[in-house]
Amino acid sequence: MVVCNLNCASCPLAYACIPITIAGVIALRKYRGRLQKKRLASQMTFLFITNTAFLFGATGLIYSYFYCWESPFALMACPIGVLEHAFVDKAWYLLIYLAGSIGFTSIIFGRAACGWACPIGFLQDLTSKRKTKSEWDKKLRILKYIILAAIPPASYVTGQLAYTLICPIGGLTATLPHLLMNPHGYTFTFFFFPKMMVLVGFFILIVLLSRGWCRHLCPVGAMMAPFNKISLLQLEYYEDKCLKCFKCADVCPMQINMPYDTKTAECIRCGKCVDVCPTDALAFKFQWQ
Amino acid sequence: MMKKAIYVGIIFIILASGAYVAYKQVEALNMARCLGCLAMEPKTKAFEDFWVEYPSFYTRSGIPEHPSWLVNESRQHVTMLFFWFEGCSACKSQWERMKKYGLVEGGEADGKFTENFSYAKLITIDIINSPQRDALKIYQTEGRMEAPTTVIIFEKNGTIYWYAFSGDANGEGGRPDVETLVKILERAEEEKNGGVQP
Repeated sequence: MVVCNLNCASCPLAYACIPITIAGVIALRKYRGRLQKKRLASQMTFLFITNTAFLFGATGLIYSYFYCWESPFALMACPIGVLEHAFVDKAWYLLIYLAGSIGFTSIIFGRAACGWACPIGFLQDLTSKRKTKSEWDKKLRILKYIILAAIPPASYVTGQLAYTLICPIGGLTATLPHLLMNPHGYTFTFFFFPKMMVLVGFFILIVLLSRGWCRHLCPVGAMMAPFNKISLLQLEYYEDKCLKCFKCADVCPMQINMPYDTKTAECIRCGKCVDVCPTDALAFKFQWQ
Repeated sequence: MMKKAIYVGIIFIILASGAYVAYKQVEALNMARCLGCLAMEPKTKAFEDFWVEYPSFYTRSGIPEHPSWLVNESRQHVTMLFFWFEGCSACKSQWERMKKYGLVEGGEADGKFTENFSYAKLITIDIINSPQRDALKIYQTEGRMEAPTTVIIFEKNGTIYWYAFSGDANGEGGRPDVETLVKILERAEEEKNGGVQP
């Protein structure tokens, strides 16, 4: 446990709080609506919990969202890292644990972790609201499933954590923090520049397109997406109340065909449509039947 | 009646049954930092002489608390520890390099020195599963679980001399390459027993 030593410069808690507070202040203006304020609070809380290794050490729990477990502050394990290790070490029981961890949150909340917990989702909420009209957008959404499907064979064949070597999230949340904390302490391997190039690509994508990473490339999102159809938490659409104003379609960060397509695998349950709807034709409901 | 409640129940049972074995494994994996996976390797200081106390770039100072099993080993012969784990690309690359040179034989789990280097003893430690894995924190610069880490250690007249580096032994960033590693081993043997016996 960290005991306050009255010296903020050497306190990891202070370092964790500064970026989270800055992100919160920047974000506050962008989050309009009752649910959005709650969502901001949730995202900030999860950003904090995600980075509390200095309080609790590294645990054996698995994040239901994307964050690198090699990060100096990471509390839990990355689901993609566990998937890769299961195939590299041939430790198949890890797959059961992974399926259980991801399955448990996803069957209850669907893909809500993307919208309410994921630090990378949080980052994308701050970077861009730009939409696209391209036909390619819908077709490219299948990419994330292809990436997810390619990770196990790639890890099995190469015997290495194949995705991790070029993972932009790892680059952002682990490689760069390690470098910042100890700038002269490292040398780079062959994969450093490819990884940084992918990271630059990631930033271009999330600045050019609202939730671009979630839409097209995130393999963790691809794990959780199918659960949207059967999850307990559902986005309900009451057609009799609907004015067909399509405000929901305008605000949707994932550009779902709102309000008709509420059960789609692409919905991240962010609730922007619920907030913006003038007649409460959209609402979150827990469905047990 | 409650179809979805049954789904939740099934998933929870899967989670619980898997968690029993897997939690500890994931915890160990989570503690083992693989900087090679991040496309980086820690810098080290090039070998000049064996250390007795922690050198200045370590986060600790004074004489390290060598584990008792290692003290026993180092009394008998020059000992090299190789910390590794399955799925660590830099560990694999260092092991293959040492194998190609003819320094070691076998897989990481049961590997040993080849006949030419039988004056020394190699102990490979799987930092996820081995009971001796905590020794790594003593020799890693920041006290972290970081693989691969190589330690060469021997005892003479009651004093323990050692040298350690984390990261692939490829001659970059101050780390020795395998050839230098062999020279360090020979130097250790020379200091301990007066040279390699023909």
